[in-house]
Amino acid sequence: MSSAELTPSEAARWAARAGLPLPDDRHAAVAATADHIHSVVAVLRELNLRDTPPAGAFRAEKEKHDAAV
Amino acid sequence: MQPYELSLAAAAREIRERRLSPVELVDSVLDRIEQVEPHIAAYVSVLADQARRTARDAEREAVQGSYRGPLHGIPVGLKDLIDVVGVSTTASSRTRAGHRAASDSTVAASLRAAGAILIGKTHTHEFAYGLITPQTNNAWDHRRIAGGSSGGSAVAVASGAATFALGTDTGGSIRVPATLNGVVGLKPTYGLVPRHGVTSLSWSLDHVGPIARTVDDTALVLTALAGYDPRDPASVAVPGVGYRPHPDPDLTGVRVGVPRNYYFAHVDAEVAAAVRRAIAQLEALGARLIDVDIPMTRYIQAVHWGLMVPEATAYHQATLRTVPELYRADVRILLEAGELMGAGDYLRAQRARTLMRDEWARVLEEVDVIAAPAVPMAAVPAGQETVTWPDGTVESVSDAYVRLSSPANITGVPALSVPVGQDAAGMPIGMQLLGRPFAERTLLLVGHAYERTQPARSLAPVT
Repeated sequence: MSSAELTPSEAARWAARAGLPLPDDRHAAVAATADHIHSVVAVLRELNLRDTPPAGAFRAEKEKHDAAV
Repeated sequence: MQPYELSLAAAAREIRERRLSPVELVDSVLDRIEQVEPHIAAYVSVLADQARRTARDAEREAVQGSYRGPLHGIPVGLKDLIDVVGVSTTASSRTRAGHRAASDSTVAASLRAAGAILIGKTHTHEFAYGLITPQTNNAWDHRRIAGGSSGGSAVAVASGAATFALGTDTGGSIRVPATLNGVVGLKPTYGLVPRHGVTSLSWSLDHVGPIARTVDDTALVLTALAGYDPRDPASVAVPGVGYRPHPDPDLTGVRVGVPRNYYFAHVDAEVAAAVRRAIAQLEALGARLIDVDIPMTRYIQAVHWGLMVPEATAYHQATLRTVPELYRADVRILLEAGELMGAGDYLRAQRARTLMRDEWARVLEEVDVIAAPAVPMAAVPAGQETVTWPDGTVESVSDAYVRLSSPANITGVPALSVPVGQDAAGMPIGMQLLGRPFAERTLLLVGHAYERTQPARSLAPVT
Protein backbone atom coordinates (compact mmCIF):
# COMPACT_ATOMS: atom_id res chain seq x y z
CA MET A 1 0.00 0.00 0.00
CA SER A 2 1.37 3.41 -0.98
CA SER A 3 1.25 6.26 1.53
CA ALA A 4 -1.49 7.91 -0.56
CA GLU A 5 -3.88 4.98 -0.20
CA LEU A 6 -6.56 5.05 2.43
CA THR A 7 -6.97 2.39 5.09
CA PRO A 8 -10.56 1.38 5.85
CA SER A 9 -10.50 3.34 9.10
CA GLU A 10 -9.12 6.43 7.34
CA ALA A 11 -11.91 6.21 4.77
CA ALA A 12 -14.43 6.03 7.58
CA ARG A 13 -12.89 9.07 9.31
CA TRP A 14 -12.80 11.12 6.08
CA ALA A 15 -16.40 10.21 5.35
CA ALA A 16 -17.39 11.16 8.87
CA ARG A 17 -15.64 14.53 8.44
CA ALA A 18 -17.80 14.99 5.31
CA GLY A 19 -20.85 14.29 7.44
CA LEU A 20 -21.42 10.75 6.23
CA PRO A 21 -21.07 8.15 8.98
CA LEU A 22 -20.35 4.79 7.36
CA PRO A 23 -21.39 1.45 8.86
CA ASP A 24 -18.37 -0.71 9.77
CA ASP A 25 -19.05 -3.20 6.99
CA ARG A 26 -18.61 -0.50 4.33
CA HIS A 27 -15.23 0.92 5.35
CA ALA A 28 -13.07 -1.42 3.26
CA ALA A 29 -15.18 -1.19 0.09
CA VAL A 30 -15.41 2.60 0.26
CA ALA A 31 -11.65 2.87 0.83
CA ALA A 32 -10.95 0.68 -2.20
CA THR A 33 -13.35 2.60 -4.46
CA ALA A 34 -12.05 5.97 -3.26
CA ASP A 35 -8.48 4.83 -3.93
CA HIS A 36 -9.41 3.75 -7.45
CA ILE A 37 -11.07 7.10 -8.15
CA HIS A 38 -8.04 8.88 -6.73
CA SER A 39 -5.70 6.92 -8.99
CA VAL A 40 -7.71 8.04 -12.02
CA VAL A 41 -8.02 11.76 -11.20
CA ALA A 42 -4.51 12.19 -9.76
CA VAL A 43 -2.97 12.36 -13.25
CA LEU A 44 -4.44 15.86 -13.62
CA ARG A 45 -1.64 17.05 -11.30
CA GLU A 46 0.77 16.62 -14.23
CA LEU A 47 -0.92 19.40 -16.19
CA ASN A 48 0.31 22.96 -16.32
CA LEU A 49 -3.03 24.72 -15.91
CA ARG A 50 -1.46 28.17 -16.15
CA ASP A 51 -4.08 30.88 -15.52
CA THR A 52 -7.03 28.78 -16.70
CA PRO A 53 -10.04 29.45 -14.45
CA PRO A 54 -12.49 26.70 -13.52
CA ALA A 55 -15.37 26.17 -15.94
CA GLY A 56 -18.37 27.34 -13.96
CA ALA A 57 -22.07 27.89 -14.38
CA PHE A 58 -22.60 31.01 -12.26
CA ARG A 59 -24.26 34.20 -13.39
CA ALA A 60 -24.48 37.31 -11.26
CA GLU A 61 -28.00 38.09 -12.36
CA LYS A 62 -30.80 35.87 -11.15
CA GLU A 63 -32.70 34.30 -14.01
CA LYS A 64 -36.08 35.67 -15.00
CA HIS A 65 -38.82 33.05 -15.27
CA ASP A 66 -40.49 34.37 -18.38
CA ALA A 67 -38.48 32.42 -20.91
CA ALA A 68 -40.28 30.90 -23.82
CA VAL A 69 -39.78 27.15 -23.96
CA MET B 1 -47.01 -2.04 -42.38
CA GLN B 2 -48.49 -1.33 -38.94
CA PRO B 3 -48.49 2.26 -37.62
CA TYR B 4 -46.02 1.39 -34.83
CA GLU B 5 -43.50 0.45 -37.52
CA LEU B 6 -43.51 3.90 -39.09
CA SER B 7 -40.59 6.25 -38.62
CA LEU B 8 -41.44 9.60 -37.08
CA ALA B 9 -41.16 11.36 -40.44
CA ALA B 10 -43.37 8.78 -42.15
CA ALA B 11 -45.97 8.87 -39.37
CA ALA B 12 -45.97 12.68 -39.47
CA ARG B 13 -46.58 12.62 -43.20
CA GLU B 14 -49.50 10.21 -42.77
CA ILE B 15 -51.03 12.31 -40.00
CA ARG B 16 -50.60 15.55 -41.91
CA GLU B 17 -52.27 14.02 -44.96
CA ARG B 18 -55.05 12.66 -42.73
CA ARG B 19 -54.33 9.07 -43.79
CA LEU B 20 -53.51 8.12 -40.20
CA SER B 21 -55.06 9.45 -37.02
CA PRO B 22 -53.08 10.00 -33.81
CA VAL B 23 -55.56 7.63 -32.11
CA GLU B 24 -54.67 4.82 -34.51
CA LEU B 25 -50.97 5.45 -34.06
CA VAL B 26 -51.13 5.58 -30.26
CA ASP B 27 -53.31 2.44 -30.13
CA SER B 28 -50.86 0.63 -32.39
CA VAL B 29 -47.87 1.58 -30.24
CA LEU B 30 -49.73 0.64 -27.03
CA ASP B 31 -50.57 -2.77 -28.55
CA ARG B 32 -46.94 -3.21 -29.50
CA ILE B 33 -45.87 -2.34 -25.95
CA GLU B 34 -48.17 -5.06 -24.61
CA GLN B 35 -46.59 -7.50 -27.01
CA VAL B 36 -42.91 -6.68 -26.42
CA GLU B 37 -42.75 -5.32 -22.88
CA PRO B 38 -42.69 -8.77 -21.21
CA HIS B 39 -39.47 -9.46 -23.14
CA ILE B 40 -37.73 -6.07 -23.01
CA ALA B 41 -38.93 -4.33 -19.81
CA ALA B 42 -38.23 -0.89 -21.27
CA TYR B 43 -40.87 1.01 -19.32
CA VAL B 44 -41.18 2.08 -15.70
CA SER B 45 -44.77 3.10 -16.40
CA VAL B 46 -47.03 3.17 -19.45
CA LEU B 47 -49.57 6.00 -19.42
CA ALA B 48 -52.13 4.35 -21.71
CA ASP B 49 -55.29 6.18 -20.64
CA GLN B 50 -53.65 9.58 -20.66
CA ALA B 51 -52.02 8.86 -24.03
CA ARG B 52 -55.34 7.81 -25.58
CA ARG B 53 -57.03 10.95 -24.24
CA THR B 54 -54.30 13.18 -25.65
CA ALA B 55 -54.48 11.31 -28.95
CA ARG B 56 -58.21 12.03 -29.23
CA ASP B 57 -57.47 15.73 -28.64
CA ALA B 58 -54.75 15.62 -31.29
CA GLU B 59 -57.12 13.93 -33.70
CA ARG B 60 -59.75 16.60 -33.07
CA GLU B 61 -57.18 19.32 -33.75
CA ALA B 62 -56.15 17.60 -36.98
CA VAL B 63 -59.76 17.34 -38.13
CA GLN B 64 -60.17 21.06 -37.45
CA GLY B 65 -57.13 21.73 -39.59
CA SER B 66 -54.92 22.74 -36.68
CA TYR B 67 -51.62 20.95 -37.26
CA ARG B 68 -48.82 21.65 -34.79
CA GLY B 69 -46.02 20.28 -36.92
CA PRO B 70 -44.19 16.99 -37.43
CA LEU B 71 -44.54 15.83 -33.81
CA HIS B 72 -48.33 16.24 -33.87
CA GLY B 73 -49.80 13.01 -32.53
CA ILE B 74 -46.46 11.16 -32.32
CA PRO B 75 -45.94 8.82 -29.32
CA VAL B 76 -42.82 9.48 -27.26
CA GLY B 77 -41.15 7.69 -24.35
CA LEU B 78 -39.31 9.85 -21.82
CA LYS B 79 -36.42 8.61 -19.73
CA ASP B 80 -37.63 8.54 -16.17
CA LEU B 81 -35.35 11.37 -15.10
CA ILE B 82 -37.46 13.87 -17.02
CA ASP B 83 -40.25 15.60 -15.12
CA VAL B 84 -43.80 15.50 -16.43
CA VAL B 85 -46.38 17.33 -14.33
CA GLY B 86 -48.41 15.00 -12.13
CA VAL B 87 -46.31 11.94 -13.00
CA SER B 88 -43.69 10.29 -10.82
CA THR B 89 -40.05 10.72 -11.84
CA THR B 90 -38.64 7.54 -10.34
CA ALA B 91 -35.08 7.70 -11.74
CA SER B 92 -35.55 3.90 -11.59
CA SER B 93 -34.70 4.20 -7.90
CA ARG B 94 -36.41 3.07 -4.72
CA THR B 95 -35.31 6.35 -3.14
CA ARG B 96 -37.92 8.15 -5.27
CA ALA B 97 -40.96 6.21 -4.01
CA GLY B 98 -43.99 8.49 -3.91
CA HIS B 99 -42.40 11.20 -6.03
CA ARG B 100 -44.67 13.34 -8.17
CA ALA B 101 -43.41 16.09 -10.45
CA ALA B 102 -44.97 19.48 -9.74
CA SER B 103 -44.39 20.81 -13.23
CA ASP B 104 -43.15 19.89 -16.66
CA SER B 105 -39.46 19.92 -17.47
CA THR B 106 -38.61 22.31 -20.27
CA VAL B 107 -38.22 19.46 -22.77
CA ALA B 108 -41.54 17.83 -21.75
CA ALA B 109 -43.26 21.21 -22.17
CA SER B 110 -41.62 21.69 -25.57
CA LEU B 111 -42.74 18.26 -26.78
CA ARG B 112 -46.25 18.83 -25.42
CA ALA B 113 -46.45 22.16 -27.27
CA ALA B 114 -45.23 20.47 -30.44
CA GLY B 115 -48.06 17.92 -30.17
CA ALA B 116 -46.10 14.82 -29.13
CA ILE B 117 -47.98 12.29 -26.98
CA LEU B 118 -46.30 10.87 -23.89
CA ILE B 119 -46.72 7.12 -23.99
CA GLY B 120 -44.67 6.27 -20.90
CA LYS B 121 -41.57 6.74 -18.75
CA THR B 122 -38.59 4.57 -19.65
CA HIS B 123 -36.04 2.84 -17.46
CA THR B 124 -32.67 4.33 -16.66
CA HIS B 125 -29.69 2.88 -14.87
CA GLU B 126 -30.46 4.16 -11.37
CA PHE B 127 -30.09 7.95 -11.43
CA ALA B 128 -28.19 7.57 -14.74
CA TYR B 129 -25.12 6.43 -12.80
CA GLY B 130 -24.17 3.42 -14.94
CA LEU B 131 -23.95 2.00 -18.44
CA ILE B 132 -26.07 -1.14 -18.14
CA THR B 133 -29.75 -0.44 -17.27
CA PRO B 134 -30.05 -3.87 -15.67
CA GLN B 135 -33.88 -3.81 -15.50
CA THR B 136 -34.13 -3.71 -19.30
CA ASN B 137 -33.06 -6.23 -21.97
CA ASN B 138 -31.38 -5.53 -25.28
CA ALA B 139 -33.93 -5.30 -28.09
CA TRP B 140 -32.03 -7.70 -30.34
CA ASP B 141 -30.95 -10.32 -27.81
CA HIS B 142 -32.69 -10.36 -24.46
CA ARG B 143 -29.72 -12.04 -22.79
CA ARG B 144 -27.54 -9.03 -23.54
CA ILE B 145 -27.45 -5.64 -21.88
CA ALA B 146 -29.59 -2.74 -23.03
CA GLY B 147 -26.74 -0.33 -22.40
CA GLY B 148 -27.25 2.80 -20.44
CA SER B 149 -28.12 4.81 -18.86
CA SER B 150 -30.99 5.62 -21.27
CA GLY B 151 -31.51 1.90 -21.88
CA GLY B 152 -35.30 1.90 -21.71
CA SER B 153 -35.58 4.72 -24.25
CA ALA B 154 -33.27 3.06 -26.78
CA VAL B 155 -34.86 -0.38 -26.43
CA ALA B 156 -38.37 1.07 -26.73
CA VAL B 157 -37.48 2.88 -29.96
CA ALA B 158 -35.67 -0.15 -31.40
CA SER B 159 -38.66 -2.42 -30.60
CA GLY B 160 -41.45 -0.21 -31.91
CA ALA B 161 -42.63 0.53 -28.38
CA ALA B 162 -42.14 4.28 -28.95
CA THR B 163 -41.83 6.23 -32.19
CA PHE B 164 -39.05 8.26 -30.56
CA ALA B 165 -37.72 8.88 -27.07
CA LEU B 166 -35.59 11.22 -25.03
CA GLY B 167 -32.52 10.26 -23.07
CA THR B 168 -29.82 12.00 -21.11
CA ASP B 169 -26.09 11.73 -21.69
CA THR B 170 -23.38 12.43 -19.09
CA GLY B 171 -20.78 10.00 -20.41
CA GLY B 172 -22.47 8.32 -23.35
CA SER B 173 -25.89 7.54 -21.90
CA ILE B 174 -27.75 8.42 -25.12
CA ARG B 175 -25.16 7.18 -27.63
CA VAL B 176 -24.25 3.92 -25.90
CA PRO B 177 -27.75 2.39 -25.64
CA ALA B 178 -28.75 3.84 -29.02
CA THR B 179 -25.75 2.08 -30.57
CA LEU B 180 -26.22 -1.20 -28.71
CA ASN B 181 -29.84 -1.37 -29.93
CA GLY B 182 -29.30 -0.17 -33.50
CA VAL B 183 -31.01 3.23 -33.38
CA VAL B 184 -29.85 6.84 -33.72
CA GLY B 185 -28.84 8.96 -30.72
CA LEU B 186 -27.85 12.60 -30.48
CA LYS B 187 -26.02 14.28 -27.63
CA PRO B 188 -26.51 17.92 -28.54
CA THR B 189 -24.03 20.69 -27.84
CA TYR B 190 -23.80 21.56 -24.14
CA GLY B 191 -26.33 24.35 -23.62
CA LEU B 192 -28.47 23.77 -26.73
CA VAL B 193 -31.28 21.78 -25.04
CA PRO B 194 -32.41 23.03 -21.61
CA ARG B 195 -32.10 20.62 -18.69
CA HIS B 196 -34.52 22.36 -16.34
CA GLY B 197 -36.70 19.71 -14.69
CA VAL B 198 -34.36 16.85 -15.55
CA THR B 199 -32.76 14.98 -12.64
CA SER B 200 -29.04 15.65 -12.69
CA LEU B 201 -26.17 13.22 -12.52
CA SER B 202 -23.44 15.82 -13.08
CA TRP B 203 -24.31 19.43 -13.85
CA SER B 204 -21.05 19.95 -15.75
CA LEU B 205 -21.60 17.01 -18.10
CA ASP B 206 -25.36 16.36 -18.39
CA HIS B 207 -27.14 16.72 -21.73
CA VAL B 208 -30.68 15.87 -22.88
CA GLY B 209 -31.31 14.64 -26.40
CA PRO B 210 -33.31 12.47 -28.81
CA ILE B 211 -33.19 8.77 -29.61
CA ALA B 212 -34.97 7.90 -32.85
CA ARG B 213 -35.05 5.39 -35.70
CA THR B 214 -33.41 7.59 -38.34
CA VAL B 215 -31.19 10.65 -38.53
CA ASP B 216 -34.05 12.52 -40.19
CA ASP B 217 -36.34 11.71 -37.23
CA THR B 218 -33.63 12.84 -34.82
CA ALA B 219 -33.43 16.19 -36.58
CA LEU B 220 -37.19 16.70 -36.33
CA VAL B 221 -37.08 16.11 -32.58
CA LEU B 222 -34.07 18.37 -32.05
CA THR B 223 -35.90 21.21 -33.80
CA ALA B 224 -38.62 20.98 -31.13
CA LEU B 225 -36.16 20.71 -28.20
CA ALA B 226 -33.53 23.35 -28.92
CA GLY B 227 -34.03 26.71 -27.27
CA TYR B 228 -32.97 29.01 -24.48
CA ASP B 229 -34.18 28.62 -20.92
CA PRO B 230 -32.45 30.68 -18.20
CA ARG B 231 -33.55 28.16 -15.57
CA ASP B 232 -30.71 25.98 -16.86
CA PRO B 233 -27.55 27.98 -16.13
CA ALA B 234 -25.77 26.28 -19.04
CA SER B 235 -28.48 27.20 -21.54
CA VAL B 236 -27.30 29.24 -24.50
CA ALA B 237 -29.42 31.51 -26.67
CA VAL B 238 -28.75 30.49 -30.25
CA PRO B 239 -30.86 31.46 -33.25
CA GLY B 240 -33.68 28.98 -33.86
CA VAL B 241 -33.07 26.91 -36.96
CA GLY B 242 -34.59 23.88 -38.61
CA TYR B 243 -32.26 20.93 -38.20
CA ARG B 244 -33.81 18.67 -40.82
CA PRO B 245 -31.16 17.69 -43.37
CA HIS B 246 -31.68 18.26 -47.08
CA PRO B 247 -33.37 15.15 -48.48
CA ASP B 248 -30.67 14.76 -51.13
CA PRO B 249 -27.51 15.91 -49.35
CA ASP B 250 -24.19 16.57 -51.05
CA LEU B 251 -21.02 15.83 -49.10
CA THR B 252 -18.67 17.28 -51.72
CA GLY B 253 -15.91 19.12 -49.91
CA VAL B 254 -16.99 18.10 -46.40
CA ARG B 255 -13.84 17.40 -44.40
CA VAL B 256 -14.13 14.26 -42.29
CA GLY B 257 -11.51 13.80 -39.60
CA VAL B 258 -10.42 10.22 -38.98
CA PRO B 259 -8.65 9.81 -35.63
CA ARG B 260 -5.16 8.34 -35.76
CA ASN B 261 -5.19 7.73 -32.02
CA TYR B 262 -7.61 6.90 -29.21
CA TYR B 263 -10.89 6.13 -31.03
CA PHE B 264 -9.67 3.01 -32.84
CA ALA B 265 -7.49 1.66 -30.01
CA HIS B 266 -8.93 -1.15 -27.89
CA VAL B 267 -11.87 -1.48 -30.25
CA ASP B 268 -13.34 -4.80 -31.36
CA ALA B 269 -12.12 -5.71 -34.85
CA GLU B 270 -15.63 -6.08 -36.25
CA VAL B 271 -16.61 -2.66 -34.89
CA ALA B 272 -13.51 -0.99 -36.33
CA ALA B 273 -14.06 -2.64 -39.73
CA ALA B 274 -17.73 -1.61 -39.90
CA VAL B 275 -16.94 2.00 -38.95
CA ARG B 276 -14.10 2.21 -41.48
CA ARG B 277 -16.47 0.91 -44.16
CA ALA B 278 -18.94 3.64 -43.23
CA ILE B 279 -16.18 6.26 -43.39
CA ALA B 280 -15.21 4.97 -46.84
CA GLN B 281 -18.85 5.42 -47.80
CA LEU B 282 -18.66 9.07 -46.73
CA GLU B 283 -15.60 9.45 -48.97
CA ALA B 284 -17.53 7.85 -51.83
CA LEU B 285 -20.21 10.50 -51.26
CA GLY B 286 -17.67 13.25 -51.85
CA ALA B 287 -16.24 13.86 -48.38
CA ARG B 288 -12.50 14.42 -47.97
CA LEU B 289 -10.86 12.25 -45.31
CA ILE B 290 -8.20 13.91 -43.14
CA ASP B 291 -6.21 12.20 -40.41
CA VAL B 292 -6.52 13.93 -37.03
CA ASP B 293 -4.85 13.50 -33.65
CA ILE B 294 -7.12 13.55 -30.61
CA PRO B 295 -5.55 15.81 -27.96
CA MET B 296 -5.01 15.26 -24.23
CA THR B 297 -6.27 11.68 -24.30
CA ARG B 298 -4.32 10.79 -21.16
CA TYR B 299 -6.59 13.12 -19.18
CA ILE B 300 -10.03 12.22 -20.54
CA GLN B 301 -11.08 9.76 -17.86
CA ALA B 302 -9.51 11.91 -15.14
CA VAL B 303 -11.48 15.00 -16.15
CA HIS B 304 -14.67 12.99 -16.56
CA TRP B 305 -14.43 11.36 -13.15
CA GLY B 306 -13.09 14.51 -11.51
CA LEU B 307 -16.28 16.31 -12.50
CA MET B 308 -18.88 13.56 -12.33
CA VAL B 309 -17.97 11.80 -9.09
CA PRO B 310 -18.17 14.77 -6.68
CA GLU B 311 -21.12 16.37 -8.47
CA ALA B 312 -23.17 13.15 -8.31
CA THR B 313 -22.34 12.77 -4.64
CA ALA B 314 -23.34 16.38 -4.00
CA TYR B 315 -26.71 15.89 -5.73
CA HIS B 316 -27.47 12.86 -3.51
CA GLN B 317 -26.18 14.36 -0.28
CA ALA B 318 -29.47 14.19 1.63
CA THR B 319 -30.73 10.73 0.61
CA LEU B 320 -27.29 9.17 0.94
CA ARG B 321 -27.51 10.08 4.63
CA THR B 322 -31.14 9.17 5.26
CA VAL B 323 -31.87 6.10 3.08
CA PRO B 324 -28.55 4.78 1.75
CA GLU B 325 -29.83 1.20 1.78
CA LEU B 326 -32.39 2.07 -0.91
CA TYR B 327 -29.72 2.66 -3.58
CA ARG B 328 -28.48 -0.23 -5.69
CA ALA B 329 -25.07 -1.42 -4.52
CA ASP B 330 -23.07 -0.17 -7.54
CA VAL B 331 -24.51 3.34 -7.26
CA ARG B 332 -24.28 3.58 -3.48
CA ILE B 333 -20.57 2.79 -3.36
CA LEU B 334 -19.74 5.46 -5.95
CA LEU B 335 -21.82 8.06 -4.11
CA GLU B 336 -20.13 7.21 -0.81
CA ALA B 337 -16.61 7.20 -2.22
CA GLY B 338 -17.33 10.54 -3.90
CA GLU B 339 -17.44 12.13 -0.45
CA LEU B 340 -13.70 11.51 -0.20
CA MET B 341 -12.61 13.51 -3.25
CA GLY B 342 -10.96 16.81 -2.42
CA ALA B 343 -11.86 20.19 -3.85
CA GLY B 344 -8.40 20.40 -5.42
CA ASP B 345 -9.12 17.42 -7.65
CA TYR B 346 -12.47 18.86 -8.64
CA LEU B 347 -11.00 22.26 -9.50
CA ARG B 348 -8.22 20.66 -11.53
CA ALA B 349 -10.86 18.78 -13.52
CA GLN B 350 -12.82 21.99 -14.15
CA ARG B 351 -9.70 23.81 -15.30
CA ALA B 352 -8.44 20.90 -17.43
CA ARG B 353 -11.84 20.74 -19.08
CA THR B 354 -11.32 24.21 -20.49
CA LEU B 355 -7.88 23.27 -21.82
CA MET B 356 -9.38 20.22 -23.48
CA ARG B 357 -12.16 22.27 -25.08
CA ASP B 358 -9.57 24.66 -26.52
CA GLU B 359 -7.44 21.81 -27.90
CA TRP B 360 -10.49 20.18 -29.52
CA ALA B 361 -11.48 23.53 -31.07
CA ARG B 362 -8.10 23.60 -32.80
CA VAL B 363 -8.69 20.13 -34.27
CA LEU B 364 -12.18 21.13 -35.38
CA GLU B 365 -10.75 24.08 -37.31
CA GLU B 366 -9.12 21.54 -39.64
CA VAL B 367 -12.17 19.32 -40.23
CA ASP B 368 -15.96 19.67 -40.30
CA VAL B 369 -16.72 16.43 -38.47
CA ILE B 370 -14.78 13.66 -36.80
CA ALA B 371 -15.95 10.11 -37.58
CA ALA B 372 -15.18 7.32 -35.14
CA PRO B 373 -16.68 4.26 -33.46
CA ALA B 374 -19.49 5.12 -31.05
CA VAL B 375 -18.56 2.35 -28.62
CA PRO B 376 -15.66 -0.14 -28.64
CA MET B 377 -17.80 -3.27 -28.71
CA ALA B 378 -21.39 -4.34 -29.31
CA ALA B 379 -23.72 -5.27 -26.43
CA VAL B 380 -22.14 -7.77 -24.04
CA PRO B 381 -24.06 -10.57 -22.31
CA ALA B 382 -25.79 -9.50 -19.10
CA GLY B 383 -23.49 -10.12 -16.15
CA GLN B 384 -20.23 -9.68 -18.06
CA GLU B 385 -18.14 -7.21 -16.07
CA THR B 386 -14.86 -6.94 -17.98
CA VAL B 387 -13.50 -7.10 -21.48
CA THR B 388 -9.99 -8.36 -22.32
CA TRP B 389 -8.34 -6.73 -25.34
CA PRO B 390 -5.89 -8.64 -27.61
CA ASP B 391 -2.86 -7.02 -25.91
CA GLY B 392 -3.99 -8.47 -22.58
CA THR B 393 -5.43 -5.23 -21.20
CA VAL B 394 -8.47 -5.85 -19.01
CA GLU B 395 -11.07 -3.07 -18.89
CA SER B 396 -14.39 -2.86 -17.06
CA VAL B 397 -17.37 -2.99 -19.41
CA SER B 398 -18.60 0.37 -18.11
CA ASP B 399 -15.22 2.06 -18.63
CA ALA B 400 -15.10 0.68 -22.18
CA TYR B 401 -18.55 1.98 -23.08
CA VAL B 402 -17.82 5.42 -21.61
CA ARG B 403 -14.34 5.74 -23.13
CA LEU B 404 -15.28 6.92 -26.62
CA SER B 405 -18.27 8.94 -25.44
CA SER B 406 -16.91 11.10 -22.63
CA PRO B 407 -14.76 13.44 -24.76
CA ALA B 408 -17.95 14.99 -26.16
CA ASN B 409 -19.39 15.40 -22.66
CA ILE B 410 -16.24 17.11 -21.42
CA THR B 411 -15.76 19.42 -24.41
CA GLY B 412 -19.49 19.92 -24.97
CA VAL B 413 -19.26 19.25 -28.71
CA PRO B 414 -22.28 17.60 -30.37
CA ALA B 415 -22.08 13.87 -31.06
CA LEU B 416 -24.41 11.77 -33.20
CA SER B 417 -24.41 7.96 -33.17
CA VAL B 418 -25.60 6.21 -36.31
CA PRO B 419 -25.99 2.44 -36.87
CA VAL B 420 -23.48 1.07 -39.39
CA GLY B 421 -24.10 -2.68 -39.35
CA GLN B 422 -24.00 -5.74 -37.11
CA ASP B 423 -21.32 -8.04 -35.81
CA ALA B 424 -21.23 -11.79 -36.44
CA ALA B 425 -23.66 -12.33 -33.55
CA GLY B 426 -26.14 -9.95 -35.18
CA MET B 427 -25.61 -7.18 -32.63
CA PRO B 428 -25.69 -3.56 -33.83
CA ILE B 429 -22.56 -1.46 -34.36
CA GLY B 430 -22.51 2.35 -34.43
CA MET B 431 -20.47 5.20 -35.84
CA GLN B 432 -20.10 8.44 -33.94
CA LEU B 433 -19.95 11.81 -35.69
CA LEU B 434 -18.57 14.71 -33.65
CA GLY B 435 -18.61 18.34 -34.73
CA ARG B 436 -18.07 21.93 -33.73
CA PRO B 437 -20.24 23.39 -30.98
CA PHE B 438 -23.75 24.13 -32.31
CA ALA B 439 -22.93 22.49 -35.67
CA GLU B 440 -25.66 19.87 -35.26
CA ARG B 441 -26.86 20.61 -38.78
CA THR B 442 -23.55 19.40 -40.19
CA LEU B 443 -23.62 16.18 -38.14
CA LEU B 444 -27.20 15.48 -39.16
CA LEU B 445 -26.40 16.19 -42.81
CA VAL B 446 -23.46 13.76 -42.82
CA GLY B 447 -25.37 11.14 -40.84
CA HIS B 448 -28.37 11.40 -43.13
CA ALA B 449 -26.21 11.22 -46.25
CA TYR B 450 -24.68 7.98 -44.97
CA GLU B 451 -28.04 6.54 -43.90
CA ARG B 452 -29.52 7.12 -47.37
CA THR B 453 -26.94 4.75 -48.84
CA GLN B 454 -28.07 1.91 -46.60
CA PRO B 455 -31.18 -0.31 -46.71
CA ALA B 456 -33.93 0.81 -44.30
CA ARG B 457 -33.42 -0.79 -40.89
CA SER B 458 -36.12 -3.02 -39.47
CA LEU B 459 -37.44 -3.03 -35.93
CA ALA B 460 -36.05 -5.56 -33.49
CA PRO B 461 -38.16 -8.73 -33.65
CA VAL B 462 -40.30 -10.01 -30.79
CA THR B 463 -38.83 -13.28 -29.59
